Amino acid sequence: MRKGFIFFLFVLGAFTAMSQTKINYIEYDLPNGIHVILHEEHSTPIVAVSVLYHVGSKNENTDKTGFAHFFEHLLFEGSQNIGRGDYAKLVEKNGGALNANTSQDRTFYYEILPSNQLELGIWLESERMLHAKVENVGIETQRSVVKEEKRQRVDNQPYAGFITEMFKRAFPTHPYNWVPIGSMEHLDAAQEQDYVQFYQDFYVPTNATISIAGDIPIEQTKKWIMTYFGSIPKGQALNLYRDCMAMDDVKFTSKYGMSKEMFNPKDYGNTKDKNALALIKKYSETPINIRRTQKDNTKINGVITDTIFDNIQLSAIFMGYKIPDQKNADSYALEFMNEVLSGGNSSRINKELIERKRLANYAGSFNYGLEDGGLNIFLALANDGISLPEVQKELDEQIRLMKDQLISAEEYETVLNKFEKQVVESYSTVAGIAENLADNHVYFGNAARTNQMLEMYRKVTREDILRVANTYLTDNARVILYYLPKEK
Amino acid sequence: MKKLIYLAFISLSLQVSAQLDRSVMPKPAAAATIQLKESEVFTTKNGIIVILSENHKLPKVSFDLTLGYTPGMEGAKAGLGELTGSLIMSGTKNRSKDVLDKEIDFIGASLTANSTNLYLSTLTKHMEKGLEVMSDLTSNANFPTSEFERVVKQYQSSLLSVKSEGEAMANNATVKVNFPNHPYGEVMTVNTLSAISLEDVKNYYAANFTPQGAYMVIVGDITRAQAEQMMEKHFGSWTGKVPSKPSFADPKKLDGNQVYFVNKPGSVQSVIHVSFPLAMRMGNPNNLKMSVLNDVFGGNGFGTRLMQNLREDKAYTYGCYSGLNFQNEGGWVSITGNFRNAVTDSAITEIVNELNRLLSEKVSDDELALTKATKTGSFARSLERPQTIARFAYNIQRYGLPTDYYKNYLTNLNAISSSDLLELAQSYLKENNYNIVVVGNEEVLEKLKKFDSDGKIIQLDEFGDVKQAMVPADISAKDLALKYTLAVTQTKDLKSAMKKIAKVKSMTQNSTLKSDKIPFPLSNTEIYTNKGIRAEKMEFGGNVAQKSYFDGKTGYTFNMQTGEQKMTDEELKMAAFEQALFPEANLANNTSAVKMELLGIESDGANKYYVLKITQNENAQSINYYNVKTFMKEKVTKIQTVAGETESATSQFDQFLDEGGFLFPRHLIVATAPITFDINIDKIEINGVVDLKGF
Repeated sequence: MRKGFIFFLFVLGAFTAMSQTKINYIEYDLPNGIHVILHEEHSTPIVAVSVLYHVGSKNENTDKTGFAHFFEHLLFEGSQNIGRGDYAKLVEKNGGALNANTSQDRTFYYEILPSNQLELGIWLESERMLHAKVENVGIETQRSVVKEEKRQRVDNQPYAGFITEMFKRAFPTHPYNWVPIGSMEHLDAAQEQDYVQFYQDFYVPTNATISIAGDIPIEQTKKWIMTYFGSIPKGQALNLYRDCMAMDDVKFTSKYGMSKEMFNPKDYGNTKDKNALALIKKYSETPINIRRTQKDNTKINGVITDTIFDNIQLSAIFMGYKIPDQKNADSYALEFMNEVLSGGNSSRINKELIERKRLANYAGSFNYGLEDGGLNIFLALANDGISLPEVQKELDEQIRLMKDQLISAEEYETVLNKFEKQVVESYSTVAGIAENLADNHVYFGNAARTNQMLEMYRKVTREDILRVANTYLTDNARVILYYLPKEK
Repeated sequence: MKKLIYLAFISLSLQVSAQLDRSVMPKPAAAATIQLKESEVFTTKNGIIVILSENHKLPKVSFDLTLGYTPGMEGAKAGLGELTGSLIMSGTKNRSKDVLDKEIDFIGASLTANSTNLYLSTLTKHMEKGLEVMSDLTSNANFPTSEFERVVKQYQSSLLSVKSEGEAMANNATVKVNFPNHPYGEVMTVNTLSAISLEDVKNYYAANFTPQGAYMVIVGDITRAQAEQMMEKHFGSWTGKVPSKPSFADPKKLDGNQVYFVNKPGSVQSVIHVSFPLAMRMGNPNNLKMSVLNDVFGGNGFGTRLMQNLREDKAYTYGCYSGLNFQNEGGWVSITGNFRNAVTDSAITEIVNELNRLLSEKVSDDELALTKATKTGSFARSLERPQTIARFAYNIQRYGLPTDYYKNYLTNLNAISSSDLLELAQSYLKENNYNIVVVGNEEVLEKLKKFDSDGKIIQLDEFGDVKQAMVPADISAKDLALKYTLAVTQTKDLKSAMKKIAKVKSMTQNSTLKSDKIPFPLSNTEIYTNKGIRAEKMEFGGNVAQKSYFDGKTGYTFNMQTGEQKMTDEELKMAAFEQALFPEANLANNTSAVKMELLGIESDGANKYYVLKITQNENAQSINYYNVKTFMKEKVTKIQTVAGETESATSQFDQFLDEGGFLFPRHLIVATAPITFDINIDKIEINGVVDLKGF
């Protein structure tokens, strides 16, 4: 019989707390540079343990696209202390669930565990950060998995390529030019050393934010974090350690001018050799400089129109407009505008294009806000027998109305009410809270933004919405993609 | 693979990091404590059982109303409840549908309804408004005629497309064969739908939407006092009859394996459902054990026996799962998957073997341990949703579970042994007593005989009703072609028929097409000439959506999205056959080489049809149904395979009227998987002016 089952004691208690709409948390930095955010709440005996690495597809080289997302897969392969394929099994066997996701800007890993397995979660994530297995056998396996994923989720999904096509045209000079799934050819062509380099460049303490939420004892949690993450070497000393574990002695010696025998593999920092100690010290004082990207302030060069043939039944239109980075204050007004246009049954695009005129089977708009800039996208799947120019005409009409007139007071209030419910609902799971806190810290330098969302939306005026519509929804600078069914 | 060592003593983790041994996996901390809160239960004056689970973490609240009646037999009106449910939100005495939508959107809430349940989720501060609308629906729904007609039409369309959906046909068959004379075995069909009137819907609502015995589950940021007040204010004046609660016996035990086959011409995969009724309802003390057994066998995930065997080992399928259903009036198990034609029988062999194995072998310790761990984890995580606590209370109330059922859930789960599971399997399952439903291509039929205990496969139609075995036809295919030709031309012999047809120099037919999915009607023009031309054009608002043109030798098709395309050789051959005014005349007259085969006589209950299969080429065939009395062609199913994908379209014709001495249908319905058209033929002109402009 396996150990590791959780035995719950059931205690029935009266409960009369007032409802909260504020997330309390503490945050601090470890000496090696990891940022830590902890949110404590005891309503359910579960905990979400997450680590956000501030690396996404925009940090990739133009000839190595898809790396960031590939790592999201590779880093489940195991570590020095976790056998190949055991990472997920360990979580499941202990009653947990896990997942990860990658965007243009960051990669996010999390486990949801029974709260008595908090230490397990911290250990698992520290293993991933310290010495994950980045080697050929795992790379091979994950290459085929990622290819299947691309087939299933991109190639085989109708319209799924539109984000790729849109960004390719709207961001000719910025790494948003490609999307996280990247190029299978690049992944195939890359060597083990390229992958190791990516790990050493981006999977480092100064690029990581730990966010833990749920039924946790704060002081004990801090201690465990110190134990497992605080012991991860600082600066380049981490990569010295990783090389020491992964390289053979010949390679190691040629890189560092000293045999790896001088280091204690079980307890790397505790070597008796003076030269080795000096090297560790020197490397720990050498910071790892993370390659950052610049904001993209370029405009779309005129109207870029293209037609794409895909395996689809209904033809579709996608229109993209450049918008500023998500930190820009106009982002809130843009979100507001998109809700008026397409949030819910009574929204404008839904009523006009889908219900009244029945031009479209599905239609909507949204802002794709990112760290370095973004797009406001309009899309519609034309009903059978409806031409795309007809649909475009109506979308353009909706945009024109948005630019010509203030939205009604009733629309304003409807959207604000909806935002209020959304904000409340974003507080309903510990995993969601952990992710929100981490995102707000990394993107906005302000974890407290988690509690300020409604305030931000309330500051938006109807005049702001009119202004952003006129500023960004420019008829003469946009990308228009027509999707048509492939010949049969 | 590295072996992970569990510490045998109390955690070392408090010690300093310098001595951290990372190769040691941390062990769990002390037993966690679950605050499984008690829900409150009270009954209103008008008989609503309220289950309240206060949770003030977030300022939101949900109201989940389940009506107290037990749906009974609907018989000739099967689907009445479902249809009524679809109409609840179409308006009330006080609010039109538009007003209703707007009011709910304005407060940012969501409200849904069906025939047994209404659900409102809202911020607490807007609950008054939300409840006002919700209670309006329970008391005052008014079922406008226009909405009734619109929704009935939607159902008609979707019933027509059932034939092209293998999964839907398999589901219909599975419930029917497992639950004869039981509400779970009732399926809405074209006939039962047409038997339902607006009056029936109103009566159903009046009889069943009653407060007595209804359950209202309230979860969230609300106090007991508020809950009582809300119930009184919004539902206090709701009145109604005592709901009916018929009870139903478990289905009879099966007697051997029975294979059911639903023909889906042209399919490249078979949908397989292996199922059997389970004499275990919701609330049975063995529910938990059975769900553990099912999880090991084929519940979710990759690690189950079915997935390991049929996908990972044999690669027969992308997925194969076992579904376990416990309900108030019965239970059943259904194992489902899609398998390519060539392995259809092998897949059934494996599924049956795996089922039989449950009766002869214990599950392994590893399987049991993994399943328990997964179930324990998902139980714990589910508690994060306040709705879970309320659902527990509801289940205890509704299904008569012991009041401490969920408190003891994990203890009971952990106590389950592999011997328990074997014993359970042996008492509830019986080797080779399964209903095996296969929806697929006829080519797999022969290989299914071996699974049937008496070798007699029962064929079902798309709604799961026994298909009358096709009776051998009393005439030949050529005779049929002849009789049809004589009937439509209203002549006595082939010679006069051919002569009459030859006199038709041209024909122009105008029709109007309507579909739910398109807001305005389309118009269609079809032109025939005896010089070999067949041209067709579909338009809307002056734009040509699609057209085709064939001049006897070459031709093209056009649609506004892909533009013009030349017909391929295969398409030209088909066009040449179909160009004729009545292609069957050429078959009767031996002037067409297209292959035809008279499959027999089929009955759909009301009428009997000769079924003629016409094979144009290996990728295109049509099945035509001719009324045995009138010889009119009342139904055509065209099946075409393009790039490995099989598509089918079924047309139904009626209103046969005379025009220039010929009988033409004046109305038809064409159903394909994505869309259904209702088509009226407005005008047929023979030997008029031929206008080929635009082709």
